[in-house]
Amino acid sequence: MKRNPFPLVMLVLVLTFLYLPIAVLATNSFNLSRFGGTWEGFTFKWYGQLINDSQVWSAFGNSLCIAAGATLASCLFGTTAALALHKWNSRLQNVHYGLIYTPLVIPEILMGISLLLTFTAIGMDCGLHTILLAHTTFCVSYVTMTVLARLQDFDDSLIEAARDLGANAWISFLRVQFPLLLPGIISGGLLAFTLSIDDFVITFFVAGPGSSTLPLKVYSMIKHSPKLPVINCLSTVMLLLTFMLVLASRAFQNIKQPKTLRGA
Amino acid sequence: MKPTSLFIPAILATAILAGCGPKKPTLHLYTWSDYIDPGLVTLFEKENNCRVKIDTFDSNETMYAKVKAGSGGYDIIFPSSYQVSLMAQNNMLLPLDKSKLPNVTAHFEDFYKRVILNPEMTFNVPYAVTFTGIAYRKDKTAGVAIDSWACLDNPAFKGRVSLLNDFRETIGAALKSLGYSLNSTSPDELRKACDVVLRWKKNIAKFDNEQYKTGIASGEFLLGHGYSGDIAQVMLEDPANIGFAFPKEGFTAACDEMVIPKTAKEPTLAHAFINFLYEPDNASRNIQYICAVMPNKEGISKLPDEYRNNPAILPPADVLAKAEVLKDLGANNALYSKVWDTIKATE
Repeated sequence: MKRNPFPLVMLVLVLTFLYLPIAVLATNSFNLSRFGGTWEGFTFKWYGQLINDSQVWSAFGNSLCIAAGATLASCLFGTTAALALHKWNSRLQNVHYGLIYTPLVIPEILMGISLLLTFTAIGMDCGLHTILLAHTTFCVSYVTMTVLARLQDFDDSLIEAARDLGANAWISFLRVQFPLLLPGIISGGLLAFTLSIDDFVITFFVAGPGSSTLPLKVYSMIKHSPKLPVINCLSTVMLLLTFMLVLASRAFQNIKQPKTLRGA
Repeated sequence: MKPTSLFIPAILATAILAGCGPKKPTLHLYTWSDYIDPGLVTLFEKENNCRVKIDTFDSNETMYAKVKAGSGGYDIIFPSSYQVSLMAQNNMLLPLDKSKLPNVTAHFEDFYKRVILNPEMTFNVPYAVTFTGIAYRKDKTAGVAIDSWACLDNPAFKGRVSLLNDFRETIGAALKSLGYSLNSTSPDELRKACDVVLRWKKNIAKFDNEQYKTGIASGEFLLGHGYSGDIAQVMLEDPANIGFAFPKEGFTAACDEMVIPKTAKEPTLAHAFINFLYEPDNASRNIQYICAVMPNKEGISKLPDEYRNNPAILPPADVLAKAEVLKDLGANNALYSKVWDTIKATE
């Protein structure tokens, strides 16, 4: 029997387009040539420069702080917003839904410039705190949507059962609803973290002196830096970290799997 | 008492205490990426017991948009000359106090005054002067003298030439090749320049602002219309094969300057930093890092030979005399963008 070659061709094509650029980038981070056009020899020189580049590391630190802060804040606000949207179905909540939904669709540049104008109007100096506010603003929408999707599959009779068995509203939320929502909150949080750590447009507007994040730094390096390969090194390091994180989270999920309440 | 209720005041207390310590003043620079020797920055921090924080932008326009929209707090910004004029017109800059800049007064090389846009230096001190010319492969253009814009038209290089993707630079080069001013606003001269660029376009591989360095370094391009700052760096890596030519008809000079915005929080420290950079030893060190010349007489004379003899960094005086500065043409920019549209649209 002749096998259909189509799936194999598709697989090869998709893998090539996804991973070839990454392979080229990782290879070039070891290239002695500054331009990456030709292979001139193996070197760790650029990694050395990366380690000593205090500006890149301070930008990286800023990015991590902001992403962590924005994730925490947006998980909190996003989950409460989703709970409210799920629980009540009034005209006010329709407006609420619209307000939460808007940041997902309005152009980033509009959001960036309007946030900057607002901060200037109320006399707030730009800095890490303004970036944190801005990132929380757009991350809340993503967390809300993810948690809301999870809530739509949620069986409300579980809470009624808990209440029936004598748990008060708070305990039934904490012991029953929250653990069941947690995967949704975590995936919303991960989404928020990713969005925050690589946001460029909004961050560009609301960043102030001394608060450059990694995307801002990388963008200005691409255009005007004699140390271009340092970006390749940085990307390679971040890729490795991401892969390790993904592997770790997969391992973590596998451990947890048997303990979930399948039959419930 | 729950442990959490102790935890939060503890965090608050630490945050407040940390804020109260002896705080060092911080100088905020807003500049291009990797455009200052980090060693000098550390030295300045030590000498003045302060901290220097650097933020970077990628074009004059984005920097301007941000600062104009009210993002304050930068102490020194490094815009190009034409942007300085615009910022000064919009009342965004602090007039410089010359008494705090003795090194600038003492060491400024007056010869460069003709290639900077604001020679009275009310708001600005020149940081680095660069030029636009033709980078070329010495090894693959043997026998052809690269000394004129006409080389871009040479059929021997067909398909291996890159032109800058910048309407002022490229139309300016065409204007110069015809003997006109780079800042011409005569429709007739611009029409002729348009024809020249269209002729060049048939001979070139592409319009490009970033990748042409790679192309020259690898030998893919034989000629590259480009910025001296970019090419000087490539030349230092491969001095045998790469050259930089200043077309005899004239070429562009550009200057990045240091300005102190009105919203600066540390104007005194900012003056000190500008003065520090004009100290001849520091100037010489920084020129070597950025591969572009700061108009500092003693600083230039302290440069090692390989830098001083590199024309892309330090063009000889008779060559420099042919440089012309791009001026901001205001409403007349539209004339250039119209010509540029025609050039881009014509096959």
